Amino acid sequence: MKFLPTILFALLFVFISSCDKDEPQTEKNFTLTFKSTYGGLALEKYKNYPYDDRDIQVNKFNTFLSDLILVRQDGSEQRLSDIEWVDFTPDLAPDNKAVDVKFQYTVPAGNYTALKIGYGVRPDLNAKKPADFAPEHPLYRENEYWSGWQSYIFTKVQGLYDLDGAGDPESTLTYHCGSDAVYRTSTMNATIPVTDKSGALTVEFDVKKLFYYNGGLLDLDDPLNRNTSHNASNIDLGIKVMDNFANATTVK
Amino acid sequence: MLYRKSFLFALLVLAVITLAQRCKEPSGTCGMGCDLTDIPYNPTAYAIPKPAHFPQIPVPANNPMTLEGVQLGRRLFYDPILSADSTMSCSSCHLPQGSFTDNKAVSTGIDGIQGRRSSMSLLNIAYATNGLFWDGRSASLEEQALLPVEDPVEMHHTWPNVVEQLKSHPVYPELFRKAFGIDNCCGITKELAARALAQFERILISSGTSRYDQYILGDPDALDDKELDGKLMFFDEGQVVNLPDAQCFHCHGSITLTGNNYFNNGLDSVASLDDFTDKGRGGISGNRTDNGKFRTPTLRNIALTAPYMHDGRFPTLEAVLEHYNGNGKGVSNEDPFVQQIGFPLGGNVLQYSGLTAYQRQAVIKFLHTLTDTTFINNPDIQKPD
Repeated sequence: MKFLPTILFALLFVFISSCDKDEPQTEKNFTLTFKSTYGGLALEKYKNYPYDDRDIQVNKFNTFLSDLILVRQDGSEQRLSDIEWVDFTPDLAPDNKAVDVKFQYTVPAGNYTALKIGYGVRPDLNAKKPADFAPEHPLYRENEYWSGWQSYIFTKVQGLYDLDGAGDPESTLTYHCGSDAVYRTSTMNATIPVTDKSGALTVEFDVKKLFYYNGGLLDLDDPLNRNTSHNASNIDLGIKVMDNFANATTVK
Repeated sequence: MLYRKSFLFALLVLAVITLAQRCKEPSGTCGMGCDLTDIPYNPTAYAIPKPAHFPQIPVPANNPMTLEGVQLGRRLFYDPILSADSTMSCSSCHLPQGSFTDNKAVSTGIDGIQGRRSSMSLLNIAYATNGLFWDGRSASLEEQALLPVEDPVEMHHTWPNVVEQLKSHPVYPELFRKAFGIDNCCGITKELAARALAQFERILISSGTSRYDQYILGDPDALDDKELDGKLMFFDEGQVVNLPDAQCFHCHGSITLTGNNYFNNGLDSVASLDDFTDKGRGGISGNRTDNGKFRTPTLRNIALTAPYMHDGRFPTLEAVLEHYNGNGKGVSNEDPFVQQIGFPLGGNVLQYSGLTAYQRQAVIKFLHTLTDTTFINNPDIQKPD
């Protein structure tokens, strides 16, 4: 009986210690967050946003991003990922607000000065197909692949435009862009300090800026500017959208 | 001091009793004769057979596939023990010859009450990782398998009663032992039953021998000219031969011919998003802009799964194509491609031509090439002896 308190405390200690061992150890110290906006406002599905003197809705927005690379001051590179899929408007989201998409990577400590981004699926990966990848891989997504053109759909932007000017967007907008011809890259300069413990960067896409062309907004009254669903039908519009991705990107 | 000792002693006694409760021999149906440890537990890893051109099949880490798990799940799937009056099994609404549908507009439960939706095909259901049922209310097959048993318009049973029946069954305790290594029949739980059912459902994979598969695997003669026209329109590849877009592949574009996403496919004309008779995904998410959206079903074996849509409103594929040819109802959350079927007619308000009678027939003829009789006749997925 004398040793009972000791035994009980010893058992408690063993119990607590065993719980500690279950805590996962993580060495991922760098968080890359993707956000989406429309004209600087938080993006929300089925919400009206101004587009010149009309309204527009953006109800779907997702994109593949290739070769996410941090660049050091000396120009050397730290690869974060070959490919990621960023879906701001997932089916099963709790509400219409666009979600922030976060990825975590293991990155050596240091001061990085830029982020390289490939918009879409880089050609060697685009030559593959979903069956070539494991279920957890971003390129496993079958419904983001065009079997007819043997290409991934690099980005999907869908919504509605108030074509008739009656106040409620009613005319469909569908921009499904893909194929090697529309793959684009850019380098975004930023000050990105990373320690052994932490580092973070936020990349923001402003959907409105995808619609800029020749110094102004695309004329959505022109039906040729409202729909491109694959390379055979209206690749010029797909090129315009993908050309604009770098301008639509800011890093913070 | 005495009080302290008494308290510590009581604490020790309580701990011993608690441990004893957890470790004691089971009583009642779990008592004598219920020990299963004499039965070997050597589960055999099971690789799900799939066509080479199909993607890898996702299997959750907490429910690895075993031969014994699949066999147990298969037996449970076909066993009416899961229904309150032992008249209905999973297979009552998911029959192999209907590509695991019941070919009824809506299914009827044990009490003669009709449900409100059509049974979905389970073909290639292993690939459905974006929610299950028409409205996505279950995240996994393991979760899904739990619901029909207690649904009053389906099997109208209770899991505690099912589990008791399984415990006292002459065969099931041994099958659960072999599949999951339980030590006695008390180890049978609804969760293990659901895991077994999910394992069986994961093997319901296409054979890869349909005529469409033969075509994409390199046999150019597997489709005739009209079927090929249908394929070109289905996948929006027809412009080069002056065929319009049928826009099907946007929702049915993967090798399984469903992306398992949720769409309002233009079925109902409603005054507002609140007016859908069946809110579908919105009924689960509570988001009115999800109202009228339903999970896309696979089109593989579509010719075997009539009637069509979530409520079985269309008896034939002809009726389905007729619907899509109407280019939607203009409801605000309708998928935009529903409104873009056919050739663009030009003009400021862009309208689409729809498909001609020949073009609709060609698409339907193509859909028939997706029929996979090897799958529905596969002896490994039939009712066990």
